[in-house]
Amino acid sequence: MRREAGIAVALVCICLLIGGFNQDFWSSANLLNSARQISMLGIYSIGMAFVVITGGIDLSVGSIVGLTGVIIATLITRSGEPPVVAVAVAVAISVTIGLSQGLLITRLNLQPFIVTLAGMLLLRGVSQTICNGGTISLGASPFRDLADSGFIEVHGEYLLSYPVLIFMVTIGLGGYLLHYTVFGRYAYAIGGNREAALYSGVSVKQVELGTYVISAALAGVAGVVYAAYIGQMSHTVGTAYELVAIAAVVLGGCSLRGGEGSILGVVIGSALMKVIENGINLFKIDYHDSSGVLHEWRLNTNWQYIVIGGVILLAVILDQTRQLRAQKIRRGKSSSSPEVARPTPDHTDAAIAKSRP
Amino acid sequence: MVSSYSGPLLEMREVVKRFPGVTALDHVSISLERGEVHALMGENGAGKSTLMKILNGALSPDEGSIVLDGTPVELSSITVAKSLGIALVHQEVLLAPNLDVASNIFLGHEPTASFLPVLDRKRMNVEAKRLLARVGLNVSPTTLVASLTTAQMQMVEICKALKDQARILILDEPTSSLATRETERLLDIIRELRRSSVTVVYISHRIGEVLAIADRITVLRDGHDVGTLNAREADANKIVSMMIGRDLKNWFPKRDSVPGEVVLSVESLRVPGAPCPLSFDATRGEILGFAGLVGSGRTELMEVLAGIRSAESGSIIFENRTMRHTNVRQAIECGICLVPEDRKLQGLILSMSVAENLALPGLRYHSRAYRFQRKWQDKLAHESVKKFRIRSSGISTKVATLSGGTQQKVVLAKWLALKPKLLILDEPTRGIDVGARAEIYEHIVALAESGMTILLVSSDMEEILGLSDRVVVLCERRISGIVARVDADKELIGTLMTGARAA
Repeated sequence: MRREAGIAVALVCICLLIGGFNQDFWSSANLLNSARQISMLGIYSIGMAFVVITGGIDLSVGSIVGLTGVIIATLITRSGEPPVVAVAVAVAISVTIGLSQGLLITRLNLQPFIVTLAGMLLLRGVSQTICNGGTISLGASPFRDLADSGFIEVHGEYLLSYPVLIFMVTIGLGGYLLHYTVFGRYAYAIGGNREAALYSGVSVKQVELGTYVISAALAGVAGVVYAAYIGQMSHTVGTAYELVAIAAVVLGGCSLRGGEGSILGVVIGSALMKVIENGINLFKIDYHDSSGVLHEWRLNTNWQYIVIGGVILLAVILDQTRQLRAQKIRRGKSSSSPEVARPTPDHTDAAIAKSRP
Repeated sequence: MVSSYSGPLLEMREVVKRFPGVTALDHVSISLERGEVHALMGENGAGKSTLMKILNGALSPDEGSIVLDGTPVELSSITVAKSLGIALVHQEVLLAPNLDVASNIFLGHEPTASFLPVLDRKRMNVEAKRLLARVGLNVSPTTLVASLTTAQMQMVEICKALKDQARILILDEPTSSLATRETERLLDIIRELRRSSVTVVYISHRIGEVLAIADRITVLRDGHDVGTLNAREADANKIVSMMIGRDLKNWFPKRDSVPGEVVLSVESLRVPGAPCPLSFDATRGEILGFAGLVGSGRTELMEVLAGIRSAESGSIIFENRTMRHTNVRQAIECGICLVPEDRKLQGLILSMSVAENLALPGLRYHSRAYRFQRKWQDKLAHESVKKFRIRSSGISTKVATLSGGTQQKVVLAKWLALKPKLLILDEPTRGIDVGARAEIYEHIVALAESGMTILLVSSDMEEILGLSDRVVVLCERRISGIVARVDADKELIGTLMTGARAA
């Protein structure tokens, strides 16, 4: 929980910093929109977390988000299907994609990176073919209410919009699945030491397959919400979202080696990503020049990725130094001569290297 | 004696090395003459490896000095030791299988054609050929290492050491994975090296081999040097008593075994990779030992029994039921559990707590609506900690922080929590200290007395002889003999293991 606490403190500090310089940050419109943005990222980041905790990776997430949106737009606008049917078809397709990728990875022992990379390219190509270079508009379809309305209406704004509601349900189900069920415990065990899990009678392949299905399914759900939110689908929607999700889960305390992380961490990590994005747009410093004229200094919005990249690096550097220090203290306590090496070097890396054929 | 010309080539004087919790070497001295084969013997954990790691610069001693040619030296790193002509050949082959022989020999010291970093393949191949000829290995320098046999890889390792103009060559259990013929070949090469006045430090558990090759033998026990013998005045009994230092029989709990009914029969079981089918049986409450060299197929056989890999054909009949298990879960449900060989790689999830590790195999049987029972987990953990005297600061301690012996107890407790009827133990005491070992032996015997059938795989001959009712000896993936306890002795099992009598 120390990691989650650390990242939560960082989140609060960044909020106070941005809010301190620009009061607009605290406006209800901004807060509600941020909540919606965080929710949409959080939904598929939770899916990604399942895969990452098991020691895998899913690069197809962004393309699935895009494809589900394109499918929904096509079905509603071009075929005139009711939104319910469109959503069901789109989510079913994403589940099928997850199932296929998972089966390739577990049954043929293919590397997750390669399979989902191929999936990412392939599905992007499918979206591109459907869109044929243009955009498909959802127009004024009632489907778009999914992003805009919700419960508890105050002055035309919904305190609990549907995206936020869906995110909360995802947090609840995901948290239960990961932290309270046998499946979740198995996911941690496989990420911690795949071979030991196998020797302990854990159905490694079934659990791994499950995580890819969850990831793709949640990407599909997120895709539905994005489609409603954007309303104009083109083949570029969702590009690089998988990387944003990986960034969010890593910021939230998951290790790409597997075996570590929590749903709470992923939620905070997703929030942090979006708050930084929001902050770059809002951050401003007011100052008076020599002649007393009020000026406003703003961050260059092109810096968005520079800041996010920097924050991720900073987070992993801090986390690693903390761990190294903890290790040093542990050794120092038990050894009479702290500067000498231990008989066996730290074994975790070797264990991980061997646990993946 | 300190005189640099007439004295020993190298002396290690009063070397002390401490690790967290143990003194691995306690004032150990050893001297090496020019062109001698000096055997280093001792049980697992006696300190042989630590001593050699100090000699090749991988570890630095806490106290003591090392004198080479009469001059005190500081072996601060492997590179320094290499530059002084000291090289270690590891027990495990550490080669890059995807590169060819010459590239492996020169790895890290590639000759370049000019001032540009371009490989001088020609020189590499010529040099490699010369070195290969020296160890009598008849392969081309451009052969891919992956296509060599284990014995050939070992020769390549030796070439690698010789390339550095080694004066002192340390061989750490070089024959542990070799068959008899290959072993003889290696011994010939060692004799050849001795003639060219290379000093060889030879670490081995095999007394016969040591007596055949060594000029002098130094025995270590629990971090002390017990003494150095001239090979001429040494014999097996003397070495064993020096190594063990106490009466063997006290080590192992006494028990009288009464053969019960046969509960496990393995008939014509074809293990993938084995040349012929295997058959044996085991009775209720029996401890059936499995002896064999590394690569004799012991582990593979056990993995088939435990459902980790599947057999090609044949049958396993357990308690009058033909087993059809194809995965670990089914094996566990039939009452068959395997405590694997490598606790860090296969036995434990180091990032998890003691309680989480203990609960892992049984978790699925203690869940309600997919939700596992935390109460059950904690209860199990508290019981196991008490029963096995697992020393940790609590059940939520990460297992990574525990000592080797304690970790092994967690591994044992983890599988015993499933209450198996057939327990397979693969190297249950490898690399753990004497105290924990005795406790594990007591548990094994008590389990057998309670009616559990135990298959015990071990490379520790004392352990096999001290615990087993019968011993199945494997050699090159065949059963070369099944010996009852009364008939079993080291020599018989040793010859069966190395295939001298293999049918």
